[in-house]
Amino acid sequence: MSFLIPCPNCGKRSAYEFRFGGEVKTRPEAGSSNEEWLGYSYAAANRNHSQKEWWFHTYGCRQWLFAVRDTMTNEVTETSLPEEAP
Amino acid sequence: MSRKMDSAPRHGVSFRGNDGSSGTATPVSNEQARVAFYFNGRSIEALPQDTVASALYRSGRRTFSRSFKYHRPRGLLCVSGRCPNCLMNVDGTPNVRACMQPVQDGMQVIHQNASPSLETDFMAIAEKFSWAMPVGFYYKTFTHPWMWHLAEPFIRRAAGLGKIDNDPNAVTDHPYEHVFLYTTTAVVGGGPYGIRAALEAAEQGEQVVLIDDQPALGGYLRYTGSVKNTSGTASHSDTPAEGEPTEGLDALVKRVNEHPNITVFTNATCFGLYEGRLLGIAHKNPDSSVAQRVTQLRTERIVVATGAYEVPVLFENNDLPGVMLSTGALRLLGLHGVTPGERAVVVGSTEAATSAANELESAGVEVTGVVPPDQVVKAVGRKHVTALQTAEGQLACDLVVVCGDWVPDAGLVAQAGGTVAWNEKRSVFATSDLPEGVSAVGAVTGESLPPAVGLSTSSAANSKKVFVCPCEDVSLHDLKTAITEGFDHIETLKRYTTTTMGPCQGKMCQQAAISICAEQTGQTIQETGRTTSRPPTSPIPLGALAGPHLHPVKRTPMHAKHDEIGCVWMDMGEWKRPLYYGTPDSKRESVEQEYWAVRQRVGLIDLSTLGKLDVVGSDAGKLLDKVYTNRFSDLRVGRARYGVICDEAGIILDDGTVSRVAEDRYFITTTTGNIEFVQEWLEWWLAGTGMCVHITNVTGGMAAVNVAGPKARDTLAKLTDRDLSNKRFGYMRCRQAEVAGVPSLMLRIGFVGETGWEIHFPAEYGEHVWDAILEAGAEFDIRPFGVETQRVLRLEKKHVIVSVDTDATSNPIESDLAWVAKLDKDDFIGKAAISRAKDRAPREKLVGFTMDEDVLPPDGCVIIADGQPAGRITSVRFSPVNERIIGLAWVSAGLAVAGQTIEMRVDGRPVTAKIADEPFYDPAQARLRQ
Repeated sequence: MSFLIPCPNCGKRSAYEFRFGGEVKTRPEAGSSNEEWLGYSYAAANRNHSQKEWWFHTYGCRQWLFAVRDTMTNEVTETSLPEEAP
Repeated sequence: MSRKMDSAPRHGVSFRGNDGSSGTATPVSNEQARVAFYFNGRSIEALPQDTVASALYRSGRRTFSRSFKYHRPRGLLCVSGRCPNCLMNVDGTPNVRACMQPVQDGMQVIHQNASPSLETDFMAIAEKFSWAMPVGFYYKTFTHPWMWHLAEPFIRRAAGLGKIDNDPNAVTDHPYEHVFLYTTTAVVGGGPYGIRAALEAAEQGEQVVLIDDQPALGGYLRYTGSVKNTSGTASHSDTPAEGEPTEGLDALVKRVNEHPNITVFTNATCFGLYEGRLLGIAHKNPDSSVAQRVTQLRTERIVVATGAYEVPVLFENNDLPGVMLSTGALRLLGLHGVTPGERAVVVGSTEAATSAANELESAGVEVTGVVPPDQVVKAVGRKHVTALQTAEGQLACDLVVVCGDWVPDAGLVAQAGGTVAWNEKRSVFATSDLPEGVSAVGAVTGESLPPAVGLSTSSAANSKKVFVCPCEDVSLHDLKTAITEGFDHIETLKRYTTTTMGPCQGKMCQQAAISICAEQTGQTIQETGRTTSRPPTSPIPLGALAGPHLHPVKRTPMHAKHDEIGCVWMDMGEWKRPLYYGTPDSKRESVEQEYWAVRQRVGLIDLSTLGKLDVVGSDAGKLLDKVYTNRFSDLRVGRARYGVICDEAGIILDDGTVSRVAEDRYFITTTTGNIEFVQEWLEWWLAGTGMCVHITNVTGGMAAVNVAGPKARDTLAKLTDRDLSNKRFGYMRCRQAEVAGVPSLMLRIGFVGETGWEIHFPAEYGEHVWDAILEAGAEFDIRPFGVETQRVLRLEKKHVIVSVDTDATSNPIESDLAWVAKLDKDDFIGKAAISRAKDRAPREKLVGFTMDEDVLPPDGCVIIADGQPAGRITSVRFSPVNERIIGLAWVSAGLAVAGQTIEMRVDGRPVTAKIADEPFYDPAQARLRQ
């Protein structure tokens, strides 16, 4: 694992500077069913190719960001800060 | 082992037998001699440009190692770091390729894998037992348990190459360092093609790093000089390719060295190409204090110009010392001025064979014949070659120069995702489909290589002694047997026979193994395919990958004070904390004295390592309500509350106190090791919500102490104007105050179960406040106490330490912290999971217990019920106030009843304990609130 992540604040950096936060998922509303909570907590879509993920730039700007990564090639095609994300 | 220099060099003496050599020593004249190193304690003279191998060869040594399995004598073969034949221990580092190791004055070299010596190795008896060790014997023999018990010690002792120095202090003798670099273009391989690629890129304004594993640039030009078409590499240097500089090597190297855009790494092996166009480079002795430097070189473009290498020809005894690849012989001659032998036979059918013969003759070696590979029957000789048996008779010689097939050194191309496939038409492996940003030039592409002759083993040969894989002693016979046994796919053949899996990473044997597999299975080489090429392409020491032996240490602002008093230190993450004050053998007395000071008078502990967060903003309460299981938006200013953080699965992540210091400001403490995680966690739940909150980690900027005990109030009253009475500063309150003149935040909390204040203040006043408190408390006989004492004190209160008493499966319900999960809150992280945990019957529970007798079980001790494991102890200590041993343990829910007897085994003896419901000290919390 030695791909690069273009941090919106810091520029292209080694993935080792970041902490992986998993797939971006939508948290169920309070009071949702057990099934929904279990799915949210334990199930991952684990997509082939393009996947939107959370990454935290631990050894850089210390910000959480979104990255769209190709899970087959580890190429990160797009990053954004959550505040600015569409 | 003697370190003395031999008094007189033995010029021109041919020594045999005991003295370790079978070849003729070439004199080193006194004017030339510059360097002396030691081989097995004996001094060897060398020239500055020598490698360990060339100097030993010049001194007359011909046996360089013993083979892995049969302990057959092995001599120099490739002389370019691509075969396993010259692995030696150099200055304590095992498995150093002697032909790649430049000599240094005083270097200590010792042989490996042979006892007592390379010439007389008792383990060579292994070959006599080869019938007992057929290919894959470890899957077939010693399968009975009793047999394996007998055989295991012998096999373990015989297995492996080289010995690791187990002395932990020896680590500092092999300093490794890691460097991270960026360049636009990297060129791997410093031969003519690499040099040309580097110059071209540099001319276009690129920043270029040119990497070569040899001490100087030039590739094959270094040993063929200006004379082209002399070695097997001839085909890619026959005629200069279009645009190839026709100037001499010196001029080329000069242009490279003078170019401002080119950085040259020599003695540097590129061992892997990783995603993101990252190159791993192992740089040997980049300066005198560093043994290996691993550079991670990030690039935009990579040019692979690693060339090609020659591989052995298959015939009986093809591993005998004196049988050498033509490139090996020419390297000895051209690079080191060492004559490889006196009488040579050249094996080869190509033009290359004739030119190698010419080159040897012009160096004064008598060439007695040039034999096509299919005419060779075997090499003759016991410990060194004495003749070559051909179909037509024997040719006496002391050197067999083998012109083998050429294989592109294409490991990096394969790792980049490019294709390395057999080109049927041209009978070579060739590269294609390189990914964007990676290109290949020169012989590595396979373009200009001569067609492989392939297999031509004489049917008269004893195939058990035709060695395909010199690293693992895999013979032609072994491969054929394995294929017959059904391992007929190249990947299963590899795993079963371990061919290509030795130190040379398949360089010497892969092509042959593929050819044999293809021939035996009736497939084409293309159909047979290649095994996967993974990093490292060349062996590198694990120490080099591990990097420098550095461990960051954090010290609290009062560190020097603890040292002054004298304490036993413990590591808590990166922090150093006093475990207790005293000496290593005073643990029990020291801890008890500290304990009674806190319980009866007053104690002081340094808590500066606590994680501390300043959380500010109009939405701070809202964020904390979401992340903590309990509520903080309703916390009044001037109050503190214990809080727990869980994940969505309801697992406890951290705990600590949250104090509201202003309407929009909270001060949070976290456990020592978790501060960075908690900050990330809070930031995560804040990200993208638009809430107005700012989180600052103030751990390093703030020192903290806890003053606790019945006399804590009297002690602190002398240092602050703040009214510390219960009425004005009650339990779980926080106040800003000056303590010893230092602006501080005082929290009235009680982890240790006594009246006490946690005081946070600027780190630069650490020593001042520490001293002031000790002075103020002197009249009450105050004592500083350490982590061990604190653990006893809190255990009596049944206060849980997250990640000591809880683990990655613990939720608040089962951890006796149900009260902290406010399930009436609309929402918080983990609410759904904790609600579920509450609704279902608990699986296990965290409970207190007291031992029935004075036996101290170890932390982690298993609890047994009905002969089955039914839990585990997380903390256990002697409680001075109860005069009993107490603890916390996870037990299955059925056992978690007050008074229930639980069992465990300590030192092999069954002992019992009783579950206790209440805290072991002050269950009514009266002392805390005094």
